[in-house]
Amino acid sequence: MSALEKLLAGWSFRSSTPDFEPGEVLEVMVTGREGGEAVARVGDSTLRIEGAPDDAVDARVLVAVETWDASTHRGTGTYRRTVGESAF
Amino acid sequence: MGAGGGSDSEPRISFYGGKRASAVPLAFFIVWAVFQSGVLGIGDTNGLVIGALIGTILGMFLVRGDWKAYADTIFEGMTQRVAATAIVAWLWAGMFAQTLQVGGFVEGLIFAADALNVGAATFPAAAFVLCGLLATGIGTGYGATVAFVTLFFPAGVLIGADPTLLFAAILSGAVFGDNLAPVSDTTIVSAVTQNADIGGVVASRFKYAIVAAVPAFVAYLVMGSLLSGASLEGVAALRDTATPAGLAHLVSMGVVIVTAVAGRHIVEAISWGLVVAVGFNLALGLSSVREILVFTVTEPGPFTALPFVAVGDATGVGGSLYAGAIGFFPLIVLTLLIVSMAQIMIRGGGFDAILEFLLNAVATTVRRAEVTMVLGTAAINGMITINTAAEIAIAPYVARIGEKFNINGYRRANVLDANTSALGYIFPWAGGVLVGYQVMVGPNGLGTKYGPEMVVNPIEVVPYVFHGWFLVIVFLAAAVTGFGREYVPDRPSEEVSRA
Repeated sequence: MSALEKLLAGWSFRSSTPDFEPGEVLEVMVTGREGGEAVARVGDSTLRIEGAPDDAVDARVLVAVETWDASTHRGTGTYRRTVGESAF
Repeated sequence: MGAGGGSDSEPRISFYGGKRASAVPLAFFIVWAVFQSGVLGIGDTNGLVIGALIGTILGMFLVRGDWKAYADTIFEGMTQRVAATAIVAWLWAGMFAQTLQVGGFVEGLIFAADALNVGAATFPAAAFVLCGLLATGIGTGYGATVAFVTLFFPAGVLIGADPTLLFAAILSGAVFGDNLAPVSDTTIVSAVTQNADIGGVVASRFKYAIVAAVPAFVAYLVMGSLLSGASLEGVAALRDTATPAGLAHLVSMGVVIVTAVAGRHIVEAISWGLVVAVGFNLALGLSSVREILVFTVTEPGPFTALPFVAVGDATGVGGSLYAGAIGFFPLIVLTLLIVSMAQIMIRGGGFDAILEFLLNAVATTVRRAEVTMVLGTAAINGMITINTAAEIAIAPYVARIGEKFNINGYRRANVLDANTSALGYIFPWAGGVLVGYQVMVGPNGLGTKYGPEMVVNPIEVVPYVFHGWFLVIVFLAAAVTGFGREYVPDRPSEEVSRA
């Protein structure tokens, strides 16, 4: 990302319920578990993550989005790998 | 912080009084800080160090069983990378800032004001811009405030500018620089505690800073016209200190900002800026070698011919590199103690208990989470008026609440720093206001030198620190409207390089 792109990033009003497309590979923070499965809450949208390890909560992971419902802002994805951890 | 983590294991320290008792060291420290800085108005970082030490000892008496785990946690906290990263950046920033100071940067800005023929009505607006430039260059709003109140403020008042408005404009400039400068202590803390690179944080912060600064500049122009008084003999006083060559340090400052924003490590960025600043100082005669580095001996000898060795009454080492780095030592010690107290709270379960309450009862949507982060930083900065200390204390909550909604590191760093920078220069008991006020009322201060019209009541300044107030408003609005919001998947922040 160039310096100019960094300066111009974020000049917008971002939705509290972001939507994603099937096929996208996202880096997300795993924020909790629902029914035993890892979930990442992105704003007020929710992505269920299949195949995440037990200790994935509060870790940053790569997820391939499989399905997404733009009306409920919920979707499912598949765990790829862990790429980082919580800042604290 | 990386190595920390409040959820990776059960609490390792058990306290009499339960998880809440793990907050005793930090809570005692906050009460101490409020009493010292808020109630008594003593802005002494070393005093806070003692408060942190006593709080840490008090907490130990509440530990059930073996105290070794408690003592180990102090070390665990102090050795976390967040503290080390901030400390390294501060040491470099301190050397750079002080080298600009001895290189006549302030005097260069005064020359610019004179050359632009600034009058009474436009003096506050000019003070805001120029103090903002100085603070962005040297990274310390406190330092910029002292420099401008000492040199710029009396000249402005003598020209006929309103003293209260002028002091507020200087404080606004300090807010701008403290908030935006890559070498600012608060910028550094906000970035490293949110696992974001400092250059990226500065670039992402620009939009908020400019949205607040433009109306603040207009407000100073308007209010300057309404409140300006009669012209006195100020122009002559201003010209006495003007040094055009000092403006060369705009380049030194630009080197750091451009290099940092381009993605280079902050240590590398400041090192280049330092090389350029020292080069300008020596090439343009802005300072001597001894003002940058000096070894002082008491007896002449074979080495006293060297340009960095001097003969004086007492032995010692000095110069801008020395003074700049040394100036951060109290804050470094305090930071180590605060992160160790936070680690005690994490290992004792208190951190998770508060976080759970906030996430379940308050921060239930992303909008409410961001408002909670904004108001939380405002509340802690209203109480602890040494703003970097307040920022370090609230940083873990901003990180974890933000992460629970996948708010990315740049946005979290910006939310964390806005109120930290703004409120530290607004409230009458705030450290930034007190350092400027001290220049007016201290021994041989402006009041003694020029008379009571050179002393401004800190309470009267509050409504006029326009950039500070606008920054608070911009962030509250940004939390509600989503302006500038970025999620982790939008743009993962670059890891803070610590290699």
